[in-house]
Amino acid sequence: MFDIVLAPLRVAYMRRALAECVLLSMLGGMVGVHVVLRRLAFLTDAVQHAVLPGIAIAFVTGTSLLAGAALGALAAVVALVVLGWAHVDRDAAQAVIIATFVAVAVVIVSRRRGYQADLTALLFGRVLTVRRDELVQTAIVVVVSALVLAVTHKELVLLAFDRPSAIAFGYRVDVLDAVLYALVAASVVAAVRSVGTVLVVAFLVTPAATARVMIDRVGPMFVLAALLGTIASWIGLAVSYDASINHGMRLAAGATVVLLMTLVFVVVVATRSIVGRRRHVLVAAS
Amino acid sequence: MSRLADAWHTGFFRRAMLEAVIVGLVAGAIGAHVLVRRLSFFVVAMSHATFPGVVIAAALGLGVSVGASAAGLVVVILVVVAGRRSDVAESTVTGVVLAGAFALGVVVQSARAGGARQLTAFLVGSILTVNNTDLVVTIVVGAAALAIVVALHKELVLSAFDRDGARAAGYRPLVLDLVAMVAVLMAMVVAIPAVGTLLAIALLVVPALTARTITDRFVVAMVLGAVLGAVCGGIGLAVSTMWRVAAGASVVLVSGAGFVVALVVRALIDAVRRRAVVQSGELRSPVGSPA
Repeated sequence: MFDIVLAPLRVAYMRRALAECVLLSMLGGMVGVHVVLRRLAFLTDAVQHAVLPGIAIAFVTGTSLLAGAALGALAAVVALVVLGWAHVDRDAAQAVIIATFVAVAVVIVSRRRGYQADLTALLFGRVLTVRRDELVQTAIVVVVSALVLAVTHKELVLLAFDRPSAIAFGYRVDVLDAVLYALVAASVVAAVRSVGTVLVVAFLVTPAATARVMIDRVGPMFVLAALLGTIASWIGLAVSYDASINHGMRLAAGATVVLLMTLVFVVVVATRSIVGRRRHVLVAAS
Repeated sequence: MSRLADAWHTGFFRRAMLEAVIVGLVAGAIGAHVLVRRLSFFVVAMSHATFPGVVIAAALGLGVSVGASAAGLVVVILVVVAGRRSDVAESTVTGVVLAGAFALGVVVQSARAGGARQLTAFLVGSILTVNNTDLVVTIVVGAAALAIVVALHKELVLSAFDRDGARAAGYRPLVLDLVAMVAVLMAMVVAIPAVGTLLAIALLVVPALTARTITDRFVVAMVLGAVLGAVCGGIGLAVSTMWRVAAGASVVLVSGAGFVVALVVRALIDAVRRRAVVQSGELRSPVGSPA
């Protein structure tokens, strides 16, 4: 058992994968808590789909995936702003962006022969082939996000819980919103390569949502979310490694990690609802 | 054009055309309910969450629709129950369920040997391989979904616009929520073989949104959405045949283009109307003023 957990540390590419997942978990802890508090899960999902065409173009032309993804995220934000001017319902606008951006990506990729494998790589990522320079890029995103969040922490938390007060205090609410959206977009771009476009939302939402269910205070919530993400990453990678090496059963690494995160969330929500109910009963009885 | 004419003489193309038109029609009509209930994110979640069902059904040798419906029902229940039970917002739960379910599909898929091609078919659809059985399933399930929203039209619309009013009138909004979600799920399941899980979102949202841009009346929007959906399905398939791009993707892009055109036309009409109001106001005010 202990051996299974330590096994990933012995292989270089597993160490890199683990390092990437830990970095993403830290990002998930910091940015994810804000995503959960501000109910931005759908926005995160929209951005993660919107980076697809940019990545597809970068893929076909052989340029930097990171630049392509950033371009895609930018295009999505512009489209969201324009649709907002046109008074299109925010939810519907995000769904439209998801659908059309995915369609554009499919068209671009399908112009190439044998596109199936490419498409799966785009969607599910390749966490096991993370390179050293990609790790450095992710680390830079983590550091920058940490700095930005440290500077704007008080304002962003106030904004999440009490928007009218934030406006009344004279904070530039639109600027703060833009900062947070930019951080979400940067996190998605950073995570997309390793876990794929479809599973990014898990890193940014699931551990933070679990932490939110477990505790009420914001400060510890950041730490707990990052910790939950890290633990799920480690065990998930170890399980998928062990299954493929020792049992001849291939389990996609990124997806196994996400599955574990979801499992933890389900267990916590179930426990919480049972414990919470008992607490209500006790309060009612006393 | 001649490529299109050639294709028209083949059985598989005509079946595909029929499938595209029917799927567009059903999804376009149900889409009006998606918009008014703000179920867009739920639709996105559903499109991802049906994926493990499809993969598991394929592993067991069952039909795509069976797996998709089963997984979809589980998700409906999870979102509704977990959304009410926990402290986190329903949209957050939707996000968690979406990613978790998709990951389950990927894990199951990866455990089975070589499925990249199959996987792509699930994700972006393969409308040209639609057979007669698929067509019959599409027609039956689609008709059932439409029958549900037509039969419960009054209740569904009331509970969407005024939950408290619906409860006061003796309806159970939660049950109506479930009914609406199941109708959406049925439209989704029908769309998956044609345009794939990732793009079914588009048919359920975009034509309905275009219709909403054109009219504010619910019933008119529903009928218009159905017509637009059917037209986009047909044109999209024709475009995909002429330029050899993935059918699902071109259906979505045609619907997207339609939406943009409707938005621009609407904006122009509004601008003209506003100018007319301003001008008539300028003309009138000196007449009305005592000076």
